[in-house]
Amino acid sequence: MDLDTVKERAGPREFSPADDLPEEYREAATRMIEFHANSEIMGAYLERPFIRHAPSIDRKLAFSAKVQDEIGHGQLLYRAAESLGIKTREEMLDDLANGDGKFLNCFHYPMDSWVETPMIAFFVDGAAMRRQATLRRTSWEPYAHAMDKVCFEEGFHVKHGEDILRTLMTGSRKEQKLTQAAFETWWPRIIQFFGPTDDQSTHHDFAAAVGLKQKSNDELRNAFLDQYIPKARKYGLEIPDEPRIRERDDGTYEVVEDDLDWDEFFAIAKNEYEPGVGQIEGRRAAQEAVEWVRETIDDDATTADGHAPQAAD
Amino acid sequence: MAFDDPDTLEGRERRALETLVTRLADDQFVLAERYTEWQVRAPTLESDLALANNAQDELGHARLWYDVLEDIGLDEQDLVYERDPDDFRHSTLVERPFEEGDWADVVLRSYFYDAAEAVRLAALEDSAHPKIADRVGKIRSEEEYHLEHAQNWLERLADGESEGGDEDGHERLQNALDRLFPHALTLFEPVDPEREADIVELGLRDATLEELGEEWLSIVLPYLESLGLVVPVDIDEDDPEFTVTDDLLPDERGRDGTHTDAWYDLYDEFTHTYRELERSEPTKLMDTPQ
Repeated sequence: MDLDTVKERAGPREFSPADDLPEEYREAATRMIEFHANSEIMGAYLERPFIRHAPSIDRKLAFSAKVQDEIGHGQLLYRAAESLGIKTREEMLDDLANGDGKFLNCFHYPMDSWVETPMIAFFVDGAAMRRQATLRRTSWEPYAHAMDKVCFEEGFHVKHGEDILRTLMTGSRKEQKLTQAAFETWWPRIIQFFGPTDDQSTHHDFAAAVGLKQKSNDELRNAFLDQYIPKARKYGLEIPDEPRIRERDDGTYEVVEDDLDWDEFFAIAKNEYEPGVGQIEGRRAAQEAVEWVRETIDDDATTADGHAPQAAD
Repeated sequence: MAFDDPDTLEGRERRALETLVTRLADDQFVLAERYTEWQVRAPTLESDLALANNAQDELGHARLWYDVLEDIGLDEQDLVYERDPDDFRHSTLVERPFEEGDWADVVLRSYFYDAAEAVRLAALEDSAHPKIADRVGKIRSEEEYHLEHAQNWLERLADGESEGGDEDGHERLQNALDRLFPHALTLFEPVDPEREADIVELGLRDATLEELGEEWLSIVLPYLESLGLVVPVDIDEDDPEFTVTDDLLPDERGRDGTHTDAWYDLYDEFTHTYRELERSEPTKLMDTPQ
């Protein structure tokens, strides 16, 4: 299939491994899905310590299940990416370990306190939900299929995050203050989750033309702000003064881009921002420490386990 | 007295119940706490998912056991978040820290624990306490899975040889065994001899700790030997009854309230948020655990 035919036919779940697709499509799709898969893994890396820090057994269970779900999503997404024939899962995981694999901006920041957990589990996951819901109509069928399951589980994660936020914001003054401070720290990063405005975005045109991406950064950011500004207020959080956000007459939002730190954002995009670098290396060290197991079991990773757990597919 | 009516329990019965259930729940809670350290750190995505699953099962079991004690007025904050670390009664096997990457340790530790769990749950099936007898069934079916999982991994590691002349799976298992075996023996140590005797006399459990320990040894010793591992005990062929002597046990035994330093660090970590936020009760999401 040539590129023009791809663009012509591009529609929801249009292409599958049975199609002979041009290199450009397969590379763009791989880049996009690999980024998504890596983000699942690095998000899980960031949240894992809070399984231990959770202040009750119920919360601990929910956190462990969430982290497990994210690894399961990574597994599904790597499979969807692998089916494009550009890179194997092992290559993608190696790239993630050696600092070449890219992933979401929010997962490059450290998370030190329990009050920060809803910033990821409610706001970032909520933002991700917006994007993922649209990806159920992506043109690469295995990706869309993975999104069905991912969206279903993410719905629970957002509820879990929302419940933690509600508990914190109805707790002591101290809890409320700490949570507001965490929100102020995370809010600009969460806005940047959607990337630069459309006129600045580099990969959008092609990905949209071949049906991989369904909505632009601006559309997604708008939809998120529309839904989450009221939610944040409902729980008693004050929206920080910066970045300035103006509501237009048509109900959409304009974010003043200059109020956001784009140098930081692009350093992150290149995996050059501390402590993201530390997080990448922490994960690499953990993976190197179990390299001996992978060698010992004759490296058939896909059959490497006895029984399929609930959260795996 | 009747265990189905907790209000009628006398001091002796209450203490026996508390002793029995605390042992069970603390073991599961602390084991799960250690298992979760492997999340996002296991050798493959698949093994990561499987161990996470086991961790959640164990946490679920801990919750089921702690809930039995709610009937005698003990809540989650009394039993976990506000309990003095010296009052925890888990075996030291489950509190030991992992060296980074020591997958042989977690696999063997699971095996020791799951084999013991199978033996002790069998002895609780006809417990005089209806809630205990009732919950054993669900827990047993999940634990059987765990045992199978641990054995699959043990067999693979015991067979495996590394490329490049590194330490192989077999050697790593043997090292873990030498380190963990004394702690595994504490699984069958008493919290308090008198209360342990009451547990059996009152029909809460139908076998003594000695009997459970012997049964466990009769399972794990031949199995580990069949994998080519050496267990550091001498068994007299003519008198196979094996007695756990003091010199086989570690200094800290968990059951009697003595713990290794690693436990206090772990305790500080899992109670950290609860203390930082000055909470006075843990968040309950389920009224009755399932």
